[in-house]
Amino acid sequence: MPMDKFYVVIPAFNEGRVIKKVISEIRKSGFENIIVIDDGSDDDTFDQAKESGTVALRHKINRGKGAAVKTGIEAAKMEGAEIIATMDGDGQHNPGDLGNLIEKIKEGYEVVLGARTKKRELMPLRKRMANFAANVFTWYLNGIWVTDSQSGMRAYSKKALDLVDTKSSRYEYDSEVIREIYRNKLKFTEIPIEVRYTEYSMGKTEKQGFLNGLKTVYKMIWNILS
Amino acid sequence: MSLHLYQIVIAIIAIFMIYQGIDNYIKGKHHPTILKLLVRVVVWGGMAAVALFPMITVTLAKIIGIEGNLNAVILTGFILVFLMIFKLLSAIERVESQLSDVVRNDALKNLETRNPKPKTRRKE
Repeated sequence: MPMDKFYVVIPAFNEGRVIKKVISEIRKSGFENIIVIDDGSDDDTFDQAKESGTVALRHKINRGKGAAVKTGIEAAKMEGAEIIATMDGDGQHNPGDLGNLIEKIKEGYEVVLGARTKKRELMPLRKRMANFAANVFTWYLNGIWVTDSQSGMRAYSKKALDLVDTKSSRYEYDSEVIREIYRNKLKFTEIPIEVRYTEYSMGKTEKQGFLNGLKTVYKMIWNILS
Repeated sequence: MSLHLYQIVIAIIAIFMIYQGIDNYIKGKHHPTILKLLVRVVVWGGMAAVALFPMITVTLAKIIGIEGNLNAVILTGFILVFLMIFKLLSAIERVESQLSDVVRNDALKNLETRNPKPKTRRKE
């Protein structure tokens, strides 16, 4: 498959300080088709992404990570993408792992989930516990056990892109994708990926504190009931 | 039958609210639906009925199987409030989802401007 059919989608909210570096790293890893969705940032995320020469789209108001990823996926489909990978805009993911995700898709998997298990010892204990709790809730509500249900680094085949139909706008999106994998019986696998906990990305992670975690669980339950 | 002041006030308010609901439905104001009208009639009609005929609560308590008519009224009220909250949350979720769609379509318009769809050419 030609590389021009592979797209990287980056949802970004107030990532003006790092987005250029993230884009540059992805390019150095050999991937040119990058779509950045500025999710109603207050800073210059959109301008920075545009200056970098990527496809930059802007949500006029903040709608959440799930909504931004969905916009990015729609945009990539419009550009003719056949494989789409998503990764966070705060630089916590290593673009060097993208190649492994694509390889798995080429092997015949429809969804590849990046599990932040490489150098797990670097992950703060509190975050590991929160991730485990999220995995348990995701398994109980959605029927599939995965080792990192909240990872933003994932890759989708064309078939998966056509079948996965998400409605969540916020962080519960990541778990909803797991539900869609189960519902559509998609062939999936997990591969270990590196996560880089810089002072900056940890600061961003703080925004997903205990209360936001509870909100995400509530939304996951609500999505099933409603 | 002698009526207390509170019974008369509740009955008047209930009649006014039901009248307004029927009027809205007939004139098509505020996106009326038959469900909205039914909810209004049941809620306000129920309040007027309980106010005018308090003995209804005894029958209600027997039907529900709860001792004490006041407990039955409170329980019924809780169930109604819960249903209303559920309906409100559903409406909020629907509006949130529609808002995301509008924001997404607006963002994607910029992509279409960048890559305009080829226009069909007329054969010479």
